[in-house]
Amino acid sequence: MDLAVAAAAATDGLSMKNKDRNCIGSALAAATCTLLGTTALQPVQAQEDPGWDFNTSLLYYGEGDDRVQDLSLKTLSRRTFVDDRILSLGLTIDALTGATPNGALPQSFPQTFTKPSGKSTFTTPPGEFPIDDSFRDTRVAISADWEQPLGRLYAMNVGVSASAEFDYLHLGLNAKLSRDFNNRNTTLSGGFAFASDQLDPVGGIPDPLSQMRIVRDDDDDNGNSGRSSNDSKEILDLVLGVTQVMSRNFLMQFNYSYSDSSGYLNDPYKILTSVDPVTGEAVPVPQIPGTEGPSHLNYYEHRPDSRSKHSLYTQGKYYMDGKVLDASYRYMTDDWEIDSHTIDMRLRWPVGDGKYLEPHLRFYTQTAAEFYSISLVNDGQPLPEYASADYRLGDFDAITAGMKFGWKTGGGNDMSIRLEMYSQSGNVSSSQLIGSQADQDTYPDMDAIIFQYSYQFGK
Amino acid sequence: MKPVRPDRGIRVDAGDRCLKGQFSAMASPCEVLVDSDDIAAAEHLTSLVANEAWRIEDKFSRYSPGNIIDRINTARGEGVPIDDETAQLIDFSVTLNELSDGKFDITSGVLRRVWRFDGSSNVPTRDAVIEAMKQVGWHRVDWKSQILTMAPGMEIDLGGIGKEYAVDRCAGLLRNTTDAACLINFGGDLVATGKPTRRDAWKVGIEALNAQKHESDRLVNLVTGGLATSGDARRFLMHDGIRFSHILDPTTGWPVPDAPRSITVAADSCTQAGMLSTLGMLKGAQAEAFLDAQGVQFWSNRGNGATSCGQA
Repeated sequence: MDLAVAAAAATDGLSMKNKDRNCIGSALAAATCTLLGTTALQPVQAQEDPGWDFNTSLLYYGEGDDRVQDLSLKTLSRRTFVDDRILSLGLTIDALTGATPNGALPQSFPQTFTKPSGKSTFTTPPGEFPIDDSFRDTRVAISADWEQPLGRLYAMNVGVSASAEFDYLHLGLNAKLSRDFNNRNTTLSGGFAFASDQLDPVGGIPDPLSQMRIVRDDDDDNGNSGRSSNDSKEILDLVLGVTQVMSRNFLMQFNYSYSDSSGYLNDPYKILTSVDPVTGEAVPVPQIPGTEGPSHLNYYEHRPDSRSKHSLYTQGKYYMDGKVLDASYRYMTDDWEIDSHTIDMRLRWPVGDGKYLEPHLRFYTQTAAEFYSISLVNDGQPLPEYASADYRLGDFDAITAGMKFGWKTGGGNDMSIRLEMYSQSGNVSSSQLIGSQADQDTYPDMDAIIFQYSYQFGK
Repeated sequence: MKPVRPDRGIRVDAGDRCLKGQFSAMASPCEVLVDSDDIAAAEHLTSLVANEAWRIEDKFSRYSPGNIIDRINTARGEGVPIDDETAQLIDFSVTLNELSDGKFDITSGVLRRVWRFDGSSNVPTRDAVIEAMKQVGWHRVDWKSQILTMAPGMEIDLGGIGKEYAVDRCAGLLRNTTDAACLINFGGDLVATGKPTRRDAWKVGIEALNAQKHESDRLVNLVTGGLATSGDARRFLMHDGIRFSHILDPTTGWPVPDAPRSITVAADSCTQAGMLSTLGMLKGAQAEAFLDAQGVQFWSNRGNGATSCGQA
């Protein structure tokens, strides 16, 4: 719901007295009929000419220490038809290089790992988080959305999406229905999204908690490796929301969402270091002459095959003198025992001449998944059922701080540039640290920079 | 017999999928678009519209010596008997005066003696405005039994209603005369009487006042109803770096602060559209909020390409 319209509707509904003062339509219509000597006027049928709108942007996302770099080109085309029916078509192309740390712990000595393909190795110097930096990928994503009113109070939205990259295929569909109440001061909405994703990792799907392989030439995924080549997961999201006009200048939104993922939820490239129970150092594996392979003992991670999340989200938009404050908070909890809190704030500050500045601050914190572990202990005991050292499942805090500057071009179109810094730092509980791990980096902190240029224009 | 005026002729040409009649009235270029190929019919309809427009112009222009407005404004305190049509326009303006808490006032023209909106920096003195305000205000007028009495020096001006009224009157004439869909456009105040047969709707451009290139900023499809625009980028005063809009608040005698450069409103009739856009301008910074509350479609222009619109 457009806030200006919503806010107007709010005034309309505040009180009869107020309504009488503000809404002069019927008195004016009556006076006009008298003036023109008619009893009824033909109702107006006017509509702004529908057309295409294009929103294009170029985004650079770069993580420090030569980790993931993404150059993303995005276009969203919107065609508005008569009666407020809207078709949106999206196309995004990402060029990705670099990778995230593979989960193994840094050591005081070099470590060698077999690449996911199983065809070669790479060696990480002492003190560094192991990263297979040969990774390159291109992702293409498309989406189509259709939005239309259903009668006077309902509106619906249906969409499909697909994306493909070398080792991943996503197909999704979504639908939403909303209804206005209370003079359009309240909007209730309910929706769902379903996604079916297929993973086709380089080198096939490793068995959970199996040891990293040695390099073999005859590998063809389906042959001697004994690995299946692909697996899949399904994700169902349900959202219930209410948008409420609180006053002329104040709009609030509340959402509850439930998300259920099932299927293959592992990251097939992530491993855990097996460490000595006393020193905490990686356990070397005996080298077989004439072969190439990992220098130390590692296991592929294993996550549960289902995950359900509950989130509560609230957002407030406050208009004051042309400035717009947009603040939101999200609480998420899931059955992997990750709890997260997100606070996001933006202030759009007009600086005259159609220009504006928009500072942005975001704080994020999460607890670790119950099976998050920086390493596995090689003490002869059976391995735990589930384990992952993926830093994204650990206990960490993140801050995003940025600034956007927007302006109107001579032709009346919108342009903006945005620069943001992202900083993520982890907290590994001391109970997890064994021996020398206390003196090592055990969580790969990360800084990233985001730069975006956007251009929005009509037909 | 009426005197022949050289500026009062009509012309009919082929337009885009319609016939286009043109003439000049009320200091504006006027058009009648007729959804027809019959040139004789289009000439007839155009002259019908033109004659009505000229009649209204002659009757209510404050520049025509001897007309009712001139007689009222030169009555020097005497009561002036008013004919029915003029009385209806005055009654209408009284309703608008009440609906706008006095901000719409047909006696406010006196303020033009001190405010000259010619792009210059001639801002009047506070005393000059106070002096002029002594002759402004509908509450000072005695209006009963179709007799209007006001103090010498006061003036009324129906220019704020006249053009929209003329457009709606002419639309009524066309509706009674032809089944062909027509569009009447008097210098940007317009009415469409129905859907043309050879296109979805009449296409009306709303000009961006700041646009260097003289292109329509937005295109509106109009089938029935009126569109009217208030505001004019060329009529303003600059003083100490402050831009004074030409929209004067008759309750203060000063320009309305923070008024948009222009507002276009769509409504059932041109008169309603015109009054809503005028009242919107008089709301200054609250123009858009006011129009939102009316539930009408509007487009406001605050310069620098900053346009906003509301939808019913």
